[in-house]
Amino acid sequence: MEQREFVKAIRNCRRRLNLAGFLRKLVTALTIGAAAGILFQAASFVIPLYYAGSYAVLALVLALIAAAVTAYVKRTGMEQAALVMDSFGFDERIVTAYGNMDKEGAFVALQRADAMGQLQAHRDKIRITLLPPWKRTGVPAGLLAVLLVLALVPSEMKERAEELHRVREDAKEKVQEIEEVVEALEQLDQAEELTPEQQALLQEMIESLQASQEEYRQLSSDEMMRAAAEKLEYRYENMGSQLAGLAQSLQNGAAVSSVTAESMQALAEKMQEMGSAQLAKGNAGQSGNGGQNGQGGQSGQDGSSGGSGQNGSGGQSAQSGQSGQSGQNGDGGQSGQNGSSGQGDGSGQNGSGRGTGTASTPHDYVSIPNDIADSGNLTGNAVDHDASEYFHAQNGLSWEGTHMSHEAVIGHYEQNAYEGIAAGKYPSGMEEVIKEYFSNFD
Amino acid sequence: MSEWVNGGLQDPVYMAQRIAACEREVQKGIIGQREIIRQVMLAMLTGGNVLLEGMPGLGKTRLVSTIGKVFDLSFKRIQFTPDLMPSDVTGTNIIIKNEQGSAFSFERGPIFANLILADEINRATPKTQSALLEAMQEHTVTVGNDSHALEEPFFVLATQNPIENEGTYPLPEAQLDRFMFKILVRFPGREELKGIVALTEGSQEPEITKQMDSRGLMAARALVNQIPIADAVMDYLLDIVMDTHAGNPYIREGASPRAAQALIRAARAKAFLEGRFNVSFQDVKETAFPVLRHRIILNFDAVSEGISEDDVVEKILEENARL
Repeated sequence: MEQREFVKAIRNCRRRLNLAGFLRKLVTALTIGAAAGILFQAASFVIPLYYAGSYAVLALVLALIAAAVTAYVKRTGMEQAALVMDSFGFDERIVTAYGNMDKEGAFVALQRADAMGQLQAHRDKIRITLLPPWKRTGVPAGLLAVLLVLALVPSEMKERAEELHRVREDAKEKVQEIEEVVEALEQLDQAEELTPEQQALLQEMIESLQASQEEYRQLSSDEMMRAAAEKLEYRYENMGSQLAGLAQSLQNGAAVSSVTAESMQALAEKMQEMGSAQLAKGNAGQSGNGGQNGQGGQSGQDGSSGGSGQNGSGGQSAQSGQSGQSGQNGDGGQSGQNGSSGQGDGSGQNGSGRGTGTASTPHDYVSIPNDIADSGNLTGNAVDHDASEYFHAQNGLSWEGTHMSHEAVIGHYEQNAYEGIAAGKYPSGMEEVIKEYFSNFD
Repeated sequence: MSEWVNGGLQDPVYMAQRIAACEREVQKGIIGQREIIRQVMLAMLTGGNVLLEGMPGLGKTRLVSTIGKVFDLSFKRIQFTPDLMPSDVTGTNIIIKNEQGSAFSFERGPIFANLILADEINRATPKTQSALLEAMQEHTVTVGNDSHALEEPFFVLATQNPIENEGTYPLPEAQLDRFMFKILVRFPGREELKGIVALTEGSQEPEITKQMDSRGLMAARALVNQIPIADAVMDYLLDIVMDTHAGNPYIREGASPRAAQALIRAARAKAFLEGRFNVSFQDVKETAFPVLRHRIILNFDAVSEGISEDDVVEKILEENARL
């Protein structure tokens, strides 16, 4: 055997040792990674852990990286490889010869020749197994199987984790959206033209939105999400109306910056749009709960201030039920019902009934037909419960029976709402919203 | 024989074979005790002195005399007793009267031989024991103002009885350190005893023939010193010696640097005796016991727990096990 062959034999051994070492570490890493993954998966059965699967995969990947890094850092050197070869009965001949490879001398040459001779004669003794024993490889294989099973088994807690995650993701978006609105309001609040009362109003809006923001941050279920969405939608609509009114009053004012008024108007419209979007989203979540449309009708009342009709712009959204109110004052209100001629020819008081409102109420009273009067909570003329006929009243169709003013109806609702609050019927946090809602009618 | 005398003295392969032949020849005269024979042979190859500890009648004297025959070395036995004086060992100046008048002449003591058996060395006084120190270390004897070189090779094989301690003078640590090996001669097994009885009480003593002379032995020793040691093996050896010091819970005083030197030489000699030209971990491991056991001083904990020097060395070897 020549010196070159001798070194090559050691190098081959080293390569094999490094590979075996890597595989050994890989098995250990897989065992640790799979065990960690099982812990995550097991935890996901007890606590809502949406990322349990990702964590398990991450643990495995980290373990594999650690194995690769460790194998590289602790890779076998030539001298160590020679020592391993010696352990197969060469009595440190190979490592001694390798260590003295560059040295000269009769005795060193003799020793080298002895080592090479021994290696050539007994090379077959050197057996370096690459794969760890099956008992060691079986453990990670078993653990990985367990991990897979745990990952695939469904559980209530996993569903809960998914719901929570979804809610939090949505909430994050909403918080961001609200943040933008709050910033816009804060900018408006800085305007010098605003009176202290107007500034206070804006500040109130900001605080109201921040309350919504905080609420979104603490969401933990779809139910809470829906409730928060309803509140936010109401707040958007309410604020949109208030801002529109405020913008109008600013426009009518003497020394007003057109920039402030326009930006306020734009924000008002944006908030109304957001309220609609919120509503749509909320409805989608609730399979199209018609009750939300009723709220749109309430907004129509806000529209009675006439502000938005006067502005003669926008009105494309469903919330232009407000404009429907404007229609009380003229044919434009009819247009509002149709939702077509948004830029109608303004025969109303303010001259521009518009919008595509679907919740507008053409009457200034509420009809209670005879056939349903006195049933449930309805009061009315329940004489022989005959079917009521409809007829054309001043502002459109009406029904025979009892007629009540809007104020009376709202009064009833308000009374019931306050009784409900006193009885604790509503979710925590909703009381103030309800009170605020009814106070806006005053 | 003439083949190696005339040119084979520098041939490591041949010399290794001759040394192995010497060992086999010694084994002809000594039944069993192969480990003892091996260790004494190692000491011979490295020029070290040996302390044999064992009960009387275990063949210590026979071993030394057999080795003397095999290597064709002059052999002297000194029985150490409490009244033995240093001059009885080293020799003394005496007045010689002749025709020219009177003059002092140095009369050599029994130490002037290649192979000295210092029997029951611990029975002599420290003063007499000390007389051996210079001889063992420097291979010279100083009497008066004159130093006298001892004949090479020079070996001291001392014996001591482990049980009869009354009236004995335990060897001081400094003197113990001069012995390369401390070999424990244990009682032979039944089969070995049967062989010993048959050998010594039989009608015919085995014929021990000379296998090598002092020149050959010195040449072999020179070859042993050239045997290379791999770094890994050297590290292992040094780790063992260092572990007799710091942190060892059973050792009061650890081995000296001389122990490391002795361990290297002994491991080399063992490799040579086995026909190898490199030192293995096993060489170091096997020679660690006789090299270290008399060079470490146990503390009270070890003594109270009944832990021996060999137990401590074994533990150190286990802790430093390679591969």
